[in-house]
This record gives sequence, structure tokens and C-alpha cells, in this order.
Amino acid sequence: MILHPGILSLLCGSLITFLVMLFASWLGVRILLRWDMESSSEEQLLLERKTWLISTLLNYALGFQVFSAVLFVFTAEDIHQLFVGAMCATGSLNANLVGWLVLLVKGILLFAAAFWVVLNRLDQRTEDCPLVRPKYLALVLVTPLVGLDLYLQWLYFSGLQPEVITSCCGSLFSAEGESVASELAGMPVKQSMLLFFLILGSYLIILVACIISKMAALRHLLFIASVLMFFVSIGAVISFISLYIYQMPSHHCPFDMLQANYNYIGYPLYVGLFSATLYGMLPGICQPLRKYESLQREIDSVEKQWLLFALVGVLIFLAISCGQMLFGSFKLLGY
Amino acid sequence: MLRQLKILEFTLSSLLRRKHKNLSLIAVYTFTIATLGSVLFLTHALKLEATGSLTTAPDLVIQRVAAGRHDLIPTKYAEVIKKLPGVESVTPRIWGYYYDSLIKANLTLVGTNSHQGKLDLLEGRLPNNPKECAIGIGVSKAFGPAIGDNLVLEDSKKSRIVFSITGIFRAESNLLTNDLVVLQEMALRDFFTMSPQLATDLVVQVHNQREVKTLAKKIKYHLPDTRPITREEILHTYDTLFNWRSGMMLAVAVAALIAFCILAWDKATGISAEEKQEIGILKAIGWETSDVLAVKFWEGLVISLTSFILGILAAWIHIFVFGAPALVPLLKGWSVLFPEFQLTPAVDFYQIFTLAFLTIVPYLACTVIPSWKTAVTDPEHVMRG
Amino acid sequence: MSSILIVEQLSRIYHRHQPDEIAALREISLQISAGEVVALTGPSGSGKTTLLSLLGCMSRPTSGNIQLRNRNVSKLPERFLAQIRRETFGFVFQQYHLLRDLSVLENVMLPLYPSNQPLGEMKKTAIKILEQFELAGMMKKKIKQLSGGEQQRIAISRALVTNPEIIIADEPTAHLDSELSQDLLQILAKLNQSGKTIIIATHDPGVYQSSLIQRRFNLRHGQLVEGQSS
Repeated sequence: MILHPGILSLLCGSLITFLVMLFASWLGVRILLRWDMESSSEEQLLLERKTWLISTLLNYALGFQVFSAVLFVFTAEDIHQLFVGAMCATGSLNANLVGWLVLLVKGILLFAAAFWVVLNRLDQRTEDCPLVRPKYLALVLVTPLVGLDLYLQWLYFSGLQPEVITSCCGSLFSAEGESVASELAGMPVKQSMLLFFLILGSYLIILVACIISKMAALRHLLFIASVLMFFVSIGAVISFISLYIYQMPSHHCPFDMLQANYNYIGYPLYVGLFSATLYGMLPGICQPLRKYESLQREIDSVEKQWLLFALVGVLIFLAISCGQMLFGSFKLLGY
Repeated sequence: MLRQLKILEFTLSSLLRRKHKNLSLIAVYTFTIATLGSVLFLTHALKLEATGSLTTAPDLVIQRVAAGRHDLIPTKYAEVIKKLPGVESVTPRIWGYYYDSLIKANLTLVGTNSHQGKLDLLEGRLPNNPKECAIGIGVSKAFGPAIGDNLVLEDSKKSRIVFSITGIFRAESNLLTNDLVVLQEMALRDFFTMSPQLATDLVVQVHNQREVKTLAKKIKYHLPDTRPITREEILHTYDTLFNWRSGMMLAVAVAALIAFCILAWDKATGISAEEKQEIGILKAIGWETSDVLAVKFWEGLVISLTSFILGILAAWIHIFVFGAPALVPLLKGWSVLFPEFQLTPAVDFYQIFTLAFLTIVPYLACTVIPSWKTAVTDPEHVMRG
Repeated sequence: MSSILIVEQLSRIYHRHQPDEIAALREISLQISAGEVVALTGPSGSGKTTLLSLLGCMSRPTSGNIQLRNRNVSKLPERFLAQIRRETFGFVFQQYHLLRDLSVLENVMLPLYPSNQPLGEMKKTAIKILEQFELAGMMKKKIKQLSGGEQQRIAISRALVTNPEIIIADEPTAHLDSELSQDLLQILAKLNQSGKTIIIATHDPGVYQSSLIQRRFNLRHGQLVEGQSS
């Protein structure tokens, strides 16, 4: 265990969120058991007011997740000096296997919380609140994930031994390694570029088609394209986009770009990618909800906005990732 | 969006309306943040000082270990190491500690050939005969002498030896040179009665940084009674040390944070009848629960950010202008001649981000339930007077 | 005339299924037409305020229905009730319920915050209303510096700032002398001429016997009793 300010605040924050989520799910269970839209009893009124408490708690929890993910990467970056041989956040995450797991759980939580908040907003705009039960069921299901996040973080930080000599990102992402990450880096640049542009191109085409047409199948396609795009893009960032950003032929670290040395260029890049994925998935997720008349109206009124957000997101992502390729002095192809 | 901005405007004006009520909260909040911030800033600055001065440190230091303890190393070991491929130079160092009963402090005595640090931070010049010395600023303050004065040290045979001071280290950051006394090597050997065949340790410079670790292994192989220490190891030991220290102090300061949270909770739950009436009126004339929740959210954010900025400023002034008077006693420990701080102001985004996380999250968590309770005030009560 | 409010079998029971159960309203049915001025009368404790708050969408009935312009509002979630309150109703409370530390202008602007109007336009709308009541000169003053009559006119301005269809006034003359009461009735008459529906709860004969009132609902023990005048 390392006593480090960043670690302390991450653990404190996660503990608070977990407690808050436990409280919220306890309320959620009560709502699940007692909710009756038709009743005019005082109890129903109280439950209705409790839903506001839960949505506020969840909004805060989402906000927390965003900052906590950033702080986690920052902290991993900051503590790399404690490990001989670790050059950046990748080295710290490598120090024990749980590090990557924490990042994964944080990513999942980020999406889960964002979906919950959006759906909750939709539901609150309708008069009959058709999503009350699914919503609170989902809440009860997400809470263990928050607990897992806390537990894994504890495991990761308490298992850190500063003496452990870890590989730096140079060797993790170097082509000889055997972990998943290194395979991505080892993928031939030409092929991975081709795949990246193919998937991104089809995502864009489907997105534009969705903006123009109201066809349901297109929304499902966009959902699939978004998920594919997310993973392919993460792969692409490690495989070649990072090389262009760092202008170095072997530095594959996906976190260094969040640092001041690279003008924090990683933030708009990842924010763009996340919002393109999130808003690209939403219309597909909401497709089955259209069976409720009241929700359908609400979905129709916000869907265009989502698609536009997705478009802006993907354009930002593309501009930043490809800007360096087109205009930077660094050339990768041809080597 | 527009609605949120308008509600923010309303929040600001109603906060100003009730400034007295919130003033005590902000004061305590600011104090808490200043405490935590001081700890973070100080340890961060110290870490930078220490690691910064270590960048000029040698690649490898070779110590001899006898009976599990650091012992003087034979200078002939240098010949062995010099022959290893990749070694640029090997220099024996002579240094040691000297306890002065007059000022009740430890001084570090270093021989001229041995000091590898930057010597351009010197006022005056280095000693060039056995009767001269150069001293750190801390020593100069403790004894009061200046260039041209004499420094009197007592050797192990209790005979007093007089050195005339030819230079003073005036480092901007003076963590390492503070308690330093530099003598000519031979003078120091005489003073410590150290045989010319021995040295305190050996400093090895290496051509290629990547070979440091391999060389360290080789040296250990050829000279099994030595302990090679790489610069990286020293760096990360410092890092661990400072993280540990700041973590410990933070853990103590968390008590302050908890006390503050209790206050915040108390303030948030104990809203006045007048305020409750006000919320009821707003709801009666058509404000939604979410609007009132937004007011409360903005209120929390404005209070947090105000306190945060004030707290950070206070911490910054405390550490970098006044030299951390409240924290120095906690940190001293390793040397009595602790440098008088004139720390180079160094605050990075990560420190501030951590601090924000550590203080704002608990505050928001404390106030969310009370503000919800306020927000669901029944508008019907207003009708009943 | 079309009915703007239709009330069917409306009951409001407090502390239901508990020993201290109170039925504040029992199975009330009534209709109010658009553009009408009606009075709710009855002694205190007769259920006037409860009925007024139900009509004004401040609370939900225990049973029965309220139709506002053909929309059943009796089971709506609270946030829709709030929306209806600010878009359809203007309230003038017995105690005025102005925020004492705010200026006149700020008070009148309050109902507009949850709308989509920019701040500048909100200000213009509020000033326009204040000018109608010749209050524009004192808009920078704080409420606590004003007299009761002035406060009442500000409360009315606030009720009108969203241009509501229905004005609800609870004992509007309770704190006024007879001269000011007459002024108030004139103001209400003017509003009625401009097409507003007005519902007044009062036990002041000077109000419910005035020519302004077109119909009167008399409440006793939570039930309507005859004595309705047309």
C-alpha cells in the first residue's frame, strides 16, 4: 500500500459514492415494491418525491465517475516514479494486473451511469413514467458494480509494491510482448489504419443516414457501429494515432497524451470518442422504448440532438486523430 | 441551458442576500482546504527540490558494506570498477557528519574533490588550501560568520582546528547545501583521521544510461561486499518518502475534513423557517422540484469554489511566502539545520485536482440529502399561511 | 361558454387510514366556465383553502377528477403540476408571500425563471406589468419598505406576469381597509374584462356580494351547500 494523496482521495471518493449508491438502491427497492401510479395516497407522493432524490444522487455519481476516471489515470501517471522502469501510467497499471481491470470497470460504469441519467431524464418528462421499474431495477444492478470498482481500486493500490520493477510502456507495447495491448501495437499499421477508416467511415455514413431517415433498422445498425467504432478506435489510438501524436515511432501509450507535454490533446480526443459512442448508442437503445406512446414523443424530440452530438463528437475525434497524420511532419507509412 | 443560467443568477443573488449565514461555513471550508492544500503543496515542493537536486547526482554510488553496515571503501576498488566496459569515471568521495555541540546540530563535511553538485551557486570561492573552507547558508546563519571569518571545528582528539571561510553556498533551493561544510580533501582526511587508502564511497559515471543497471550487477559480482545504489533508486526512495509523509499528514488532516462535513451537514439541515417558506413560495408559483434542486446544486458549487480558491490562495501564501511555519515542525526530523524555506513555487494541475476531489466530493455528499428535503417542500403549505 | 375547469366527485382526505383521519373535502362536483368570476365562501375550516389548492394544481386529490381544459390533472406527477401552475394560473395569496429581501422587480420576475425567456426579456415583461399598476417607480425598492396595499398590487403583478388564464386569489381583502378593497375589486373587474377567469376564496361579504361575482360556491364541512347564486 502506498500512502499517496491521489490514492487517498480516489478511495475516499469511491467509498462515498458506494455508500450513496447503496442508499439510492435501498430507496429504489422501496419504489420497486410500492410504486403505484394510479394511487393518490400520501405514500405514493412520498415515493414520487424520493425519485428526485435518487436522480440527484445518480447525477452526482455520474459526475464523480467522470472525474474519478481522470484522477485515476492521473494518479497512475504520478506514481510511475515509484516503480523502477515504469515511464508513464502504463507502467503503473502494469505493476499488478488489477490496474487494467479497474480502468475497465470505470469505463463500464461511466457508460452505465450516463445511460441511466439519460433514460431517467426521458422518463421524468413523461406523465406516466413507464420506465420506473426498469430504471430502479437497473439501479439495483449497477450498485454492485460500484462496489466492485471500490474493491478493485483497493486491491490495486494496496497491492502496489514500489520495489516491483515493472516494464515501461516501451516494453509493454513493444512488438515482442504478449499481452493484449502489445498485440494491438504490433498490428501492422497499414491494416489497422484501413480497418479504422473503414469502421469510422461506415459509422459516419450510418449516422448521417439516421439524421435524414427515421428507419428503425438504421438505429440498430448505428448502435452496432458505435460499439465497433469504440473498440477499433481505442485500438487505433494505441496502434498508430499515438505515434502521430507523440511523433515517435515506438511510443504507444494511450495516456501520455493527457499530459501537459502534449497540450492535453488527449482530453478532446477521448471526450469526442466517448460522446460519439454514447450518443451513437442511445437511439438504438431507445428503439424498444418506443412502444410506450409517451416515451416515443420524448425520444422523437431529443433524438436529433443526440445524433448531432454524436456527429460533433466523431468529428472532433477525427480532426484530432487525423490532423496530426495529415499535417504533422511525422510520417509512419513508408517506414 | 438558459434556464440553468438564470437559476444560477438567482442563486448568486440569494447567496449574497444571505451572506452572513454562509460566511462561517465558507470560513471553515476555506480553513480545511488551506490545511489540506498546505500539506499537498509543501510535500510536492519538497519532492521537487529533492529530486531536482538529484538530477545532478551521480549515476551510481558504490558503498562498502561490512557486517551489514555502511563502511569505508578501499580506494583500490576504484581500479577494479574502472576496468569494466562502459564506465566513464570513478571518483572516491570523502564526506561525513560532524556534531557541533555549540549549535547542537549536525553538519555535513565534504571533501572538495568529492562534491559533484553545482558549485556555481557559490558566493566567494572553494577552499584551495587546507586552512580554508566553504559553508552552506544554514551553517553561516547558525554561526553567524561571513566570508573572511573563521570556522572552528573540534576533531576527535578534542583539538580545535580553525578554518577561514572563503565561500558560502547561496542556493536558490538549498535543501542539500544547507548544512554543508566543504574542506580540501586532505584537510578532511586529517580531520576525520581517515587513511588515504579508504574513502566514504565511490561515485561512478556511466557512458550509457541504459547500462547503469547491468553495471551495478557486474560491480556487485566482482566486488561482493559492495552495495551499488543507482540514481533512480534514490529518486524513488525520495518519492516514496514524501508520498508517505504527505499521506500521513493528510490522514491526520482528514479529521479536519470530517469535522467540516459535520458542520456542512448541520448547516444544510438547519434551514430557517424563512428559507423554507421562500422555497414553498417559489414552488407554489410554478418552480419545479428540479429547479430548486438546481438552485441548491449551484449554491453548493459556488460555496465550494469560493472556499476552494480562497483556501488554495491561503495555502500558497502559507507555503511559498511564509515558508510553511505551521508544518515545518512536522517535517523536520532528518536534520536539525533544516533549510529555511524559500521553496520555489511549484503547483501542478494534478495537486489542485486531487485537492478539489478530496474536499468538494464530501461536501456535495453531505449536502445532497438536506437540499433534496428542502426541494420537495410542499407548495400547499404556502396556501395555509 | 366552455368549461375551463370540471370537478367531479372530488375528495381530499388527510392522514388516511389513520386515527386522525380528516376529510377536508367530500365528493365535490362543480364546473367553472372560461371568463367567469366565482367565489368560494364558507367559514374557516370548511375546506375553502383545500379546494382552492386542488383547483390551482398545488396538490392532488385523494379521489375524484379535475379536468383542466379537457386534461385530467388529478393524477399528474408533481413536475407537470408545477408546469401547469406557472403556465395557467396566477396566484394571489392571503399573506401576499413576496420575498421580503428582494426588490419589487425581482419579485415580479420570479415566476419567469423556469421559463425559456432570457433574463433581459423577463425584466421587460415584469416592467410592463408594473407600469400597468403604476408601480414602475418603486421597482428598485425592497418589499419590506412598502405598505400593505402596495404589496398586494405587487402580488397581483406577480400573478399576472406569466399571462395566466386563471387567477386564484385567497382572501384578497383580508388585510385591506374598505377603500383599498374597492380598488382591488376594480382591478379584478378589469382583469375579468380582459378575459381572465377568476376564482376567489373569501368570507368578506363586501367581496362575494359585489356585482363582480357571477357565481358563488358555499362550502360547509367539506361539502357544497346550496346558496349558489348565478
